[in-house]
Formats: sequence, C-alpha cells, structure tokens
Amino acid sequence: MHNLSAVNPIDQYIELFHTQRRLIDANSHPVLNVRRKTAAAAFERLGFPSRKVERYKYTDVAAAFAPNYGLSLGKQTANSRALDNTTNSEDPALIAALYGTLADVETDAITALNTMLVQELTVIHVPADTHKEHPVQIVHTLRSTAPLMQNRRLLIIAEAGSHVQVILNEKADEQQDFLTTQVTEVFVGEGAHVELYDIESTSARCHRFHQVFADVAAGGHFTQTAFTLSGGLSRNQTDVRLSGSSAEAILLGCVITDGHQHVDNNTLIDHRAPGCRSRELYKYVVDQQSTGAFAGRVLVREEAQQTDSEERNANLVCTDEARMWTQPMLEIYADDVKCSHGSTVGQLNADALFYMRQRGISEAEARMLLKQAFAAEVIDTIPLEALRPRLYALVENRFRSCEDCKLCK
Amino acid sequence: MHPICKKSMLEIKNLHATVGGKEILKGINLVIKPGEIHALMGQNGAGKSTLSNVLVGHPAYTVTEGSVTFNGKDLLAMSPDERSHEGLFLSFQQPVEIPGVSMVNFMRAALNAKRRYQGLEPLDAAAFLKLMREKRKIVELDNKLTSRSVNEGFSGGEKKRNEIFQMAMLEPTLSILDETDSGLDVDALRIVAEGFNKLRTPETSAIVITHYQRLLDYLKPDVVHVLINGRIVKTGGPELALEIENRGFDWIKEESEHA
Repeated sequence: MHNLSAVNPIDQYIELFHTQRRLIDANSHPVLNVRRKTAAAAFERLGFPSRKVERYKYTDVAAAFAPNYGLSLGKQTANSRALDNTTNSEDPALIAALYGTLADVETDAITALNTMLVQELTVIHVPADTHKEHPVQIVHTLRSTAPLMQNRRLLIIAEAGSHVQVILNEKADEQQDFLTTQVTEVFVGEGAHVELYDIESTSARCHRFHQVFADVAAGGHFTQTAFTLSGGLSRNQTDVRLSGSSAEAILLGCVITDGHQHVDNNTLIDHRAPGCRSRELYKYVVDQQSTGAFAGRVLVREEAQQTDSEERNANLVCTDEARMWTQPMLEIYADDVKCSHGSTVGQLNADALFYMRQRGISEAEARMLLKQAFAAEVIDTIPLEALRPRLYALVENRFRSCEDCKLCK
Repeated sequence: MHPICKKSMLEIKNLHATVGGKEILKGINLVIKPGEIHALMGQNGAGKSTLSNVLVGHPAYTVTEGSVTFNGKDLLAMSPDERSHEGLFLSFQQPVEIPGVSMVNFMRAALNAKRRYQGLEPLDAAAFLKLMREKRKIVELDNKLTSRSVNEGFSGGEKKRNEIFQMAMLEPTLSILDETDSGLDVDALRIVAEGFNKLRTPETSAIVITHYQRLLDYLKPDVVHVLINGRIVKTGGPELALEIENRGFDWIKEESEHA
C-alpha cells in the first residue's frame, strides 16, 4: 500500500508517480505505460481543477482527492482479480493505436491523473459485423481494509457494423473510503451500435469520477445511460463526437440523491457532421441536504447541417436544503438545424399527492410512487428492454430503503 | 323514509373553515344517517366544494371552529388517508392526472393500505386483478384505461367513471360526489349514476353536490340542502331540488335574508 497524504494532493500524486514509476509500469498492460509521461506533465501543469474551470464549477475536485487513500500498485489483489489487467482482444496493435487517442490529457486533469496512474485495462473489442447477443457485464465491487484509490480504463472498440451492449455495475463496501477514477474510450465504427449502461450503487464514503469519450462514425449509434442510485460524490463527464454523417447519440441519466450526496453530470455532444441526431434526458430526484448538477453542452458545428438535437433536464428538489444546478447549453454554427434544450426544477405535484392520500395511500407511500414515476421516464427510454425490470426494482428499493430509514421525516 | 331510529353516521356541528385566510364556511350543521343521500345545492362560491375538501382533510383548508364526528370518531383529528380508511370517499370535481403511476399500482397501494388498516392481509396479485375486472364492469370502464397511468389521457367522462370505479374498489360508507355530473353527456351521466346506484347499500350514504336536477333524477336524494354564503339556509325533500330547477336560488336568498 502506498499512502497519499492529505497535505498537498497534487504534489503527492506526482511524487508517487515519479518514485513508483517502475512498480506501476511492471504491473500494468504495456499499452498503459506509453502515455504516462505526457499525462504526468499535463497533470502537473493543470493541477486539480478549481471551480473557475468551467466544466468543473459544480464540484470541488481537490477536496474529493484530498483524503488519505492508499493505492495498490503491485500485482492486483484478489478483490480486483476479475479485472486484473484483462483484455479480451487479440489485436494488441489495434489497442495500441487507439488507446488514449480520444481521452484528452492536455485539457482534462482527471483524465491526465488517470492516464498517469492507471493499471487496470479492460478492452471490449467487437470485430466488424459481429453482433454480441448478450450484454457484456462488468461488476466492480470495492472492498478494502484501508481507504483505497482505484484507477481504471475501459476501451470499447466496435468495428463497422458491429453491435454490443455493455453494463457497468459499481458497488462498494459501506464501511470504507474509496476513490475511483475511470476513463472509458468508445470507438463506434461506421454503422456500429454501442450501448453503455453505467449503474452506480456505491456508498456515502465513495468518490467516483468517470470520464467517457466516444467517437461515432457515419451511421453509428451510441447510447449511454448513467444511473446514480447511491454514492458519496459522483461525477460523470461524457464527451461524444458525432464525426460521421447520420451518426446518433443518446445520453440518459437518472440520479437519486439524499444525505450529503453530490452528483454532477457534465456532457458535451459535438455535432461535427451533417444529418446527425442527438437526444439527452437527465432526471434527478434530490432529497435531504444533497446536491445535484447537470451541465450539458450541445455544439453544432458549421458543417453539421440537418442536425436534430434535443436536450432535457428535469429535476425534483424534495427539501428546502437540497440544491440543484442545471445548465443546458446549445451552441449552433450551422443554419439548417432542429435543436431544442431546456430544464425544469420542481417539487412533487401537491394535487396528485392529495388525490392519492384521499384514496388511503399514506403520504410516504404517495411520495415514493410519485418519485418512482418521475424516474420511470428514463427507464422507459433505455433501449435494452431486458434491463428495465431490474432498474425499476433498483429504483424502488432505493426509494423504499430511504423511506424506511425515516431520516428525512 | 328517514330511518330516525338509526344512529347518525356523520355529524357536523357549527363548522367554520377558511382557505387562504378567508372564511368560507360560517357555521355548517348537518347530520347524515346510514343509507341516506343528501343533495347539496347552491351557487358557485357558496362553499359546497370547501365543505367536501374540509371533510376529506385537504391541507389548504383550515377549520377554525366546530366539530365533525364520523361513526362516533373525531374526523378532523384524522389524516386524509385515515379518513379514507374509515370509509370516506371523495369523487373529485377535477380528477388528477398522475403520469407514470399506473392505475394498477395506484389501486393496489390504496386497497392494500386500507386492508392493512383493517388488520387484513394484502390481496395477492391474482385476487387483486380479478377484483379490478369485476369492479370495472360496474361503470363499463375499458381494460385499456385501467392499464394506463392514473387519469392520463382520459376524457372528461372517463375520468368521472374512473372515480366511481375507485369508489367500487374501496367500498366507502360515505361518498361525496363533487359535481360528478359536470362535463358529462347524457349517456355518460347515466352510466356514472347507475354505477353509483349499484354500489348503494342500506349502510352507505352520500353527499351529492350538484347544480342540476338531472343527476338527482337518478340518485333520488332523501334530503336536499341549499348552501348560501357558507351556511345551510334551507333544507327540504326531493321536491326542493325541483323547485330550484324551476325558480333558481334568488327566492331562497330573499327568504333567508328576511328570516
């Protein structure tokens, strides 16, 4: 275990990298070692983003990285064996050619930090015209005897005409502090189809940063769904490049927060080619003293004529103490486009609540049914229908356990 | 006609209530016995809907004076859901649409909450769906409607039929029909009224709020009250409703002013 002191987080991470470089390299997939040095220089230059950095203004990153976490740099322990430097690709040249080419270390500090220290690599490579019949599911369960930092990398390569669904499940032991960074790069080839479902059910003591970079070639499709059901601090940043004509991106998010949770979703959809379509729907239920943030930028470049884009963020703020920041952004440089964006912040419908109570439903149950109904819109929108019943159940359990604990009553 | 030997079900004494700081009810006195149907008539703003909202415990209304007992219990001390469990039902003037909450989940939550209150086991899924099917028939409510979200996309008539359907499911002892006839065409009115009549027993009572005689033609009230400016100023038999249909309210207003 190598401990990171809380004194000056940036210096400690950089010092760790320089002093332990040999150990880090020795226990990593070789492709990961190639980009470390550049990443370290970038991280040193960038530092942890302050709130003055536009994309990070809703999350105090330095504070999230300040606690004293340990890193397991040697051969990965049994707890993480499932992902121990695993790749299922038989094409190292392809991995080397693509790794780190979407994830920009020069402008994003978390990506730089991850690239500098990362030791776990998972590759999902789907050859051309191959349809993966069943979703690939990756489960991370965080367990440790001491506070732990984990850095991970996921590389999804879907070649032309291929089809793959990936489910990420992250869970954590409630009795320990965790900090995870994950950078996911998704290459969606021409006419390929990728769905990425990210379901976080961690604990109040978990800080999680997930950066997703996707490039979608002509006629390709990319769906990302971020379900944040529980956690401490969660930040998901997604950059999608629609680089070929008639490409499509759907970003969905469902966030349920209470206690002192903080969830920040930050997205960029970059329309670079004509005739592309993008949809965004993020819904938050923010309870107790928790805070939520959504910032979604849709950029329609001059060459991206006939863009069809919709962005919506809807939020339920359940208490006077809960806070929600919402910032839908639309930037259009083309003149023949159909784009909309909007957000709402509200409370539960008082008329509906009373109607239900008149029928004998208790206030707590009525509130829960209304919150579930609110979240259900996102579940009903996800393309992987087989996953919907599980998500309904997860969301219901999440609300039920909250109602049962009576902390908010 | 009046089963005077029976104990009263609902007793309202000198009820005063405000909404938004404004006094709307100014001393209501009303006694309803099991099996009775009371019509409540009066012009807009007289306090009819306020009375029904106060009885079911709407949080926007404040009782400032008086008492209400329901089957011997203090109704005003109960939460809205307890009042429902005790047998009080309001057919809403404007039923609320609840997107995302299915009729099935809504009714199951309501029915099982009542069963829990009564110390009964919740109904299993099969028994519950069978009950839904049976009760639907009473108001000719389409299967498609009960598989949708609560009232979402229902026509005006469908919403009112849905109210009576819910009444059939919950089997209340005292139902308040708040302008259930408004917005209904002749056929829908007949279906709703006949549905209501099928649910009547010698133990069930109702307060029927309406402006028109045509609903009362079906429901045949035992007693008709006229509410003016927050008070019941005249009480009579079914013939009073007919007289109002012919002469309006002004003569009652004058009568009460000169009394």
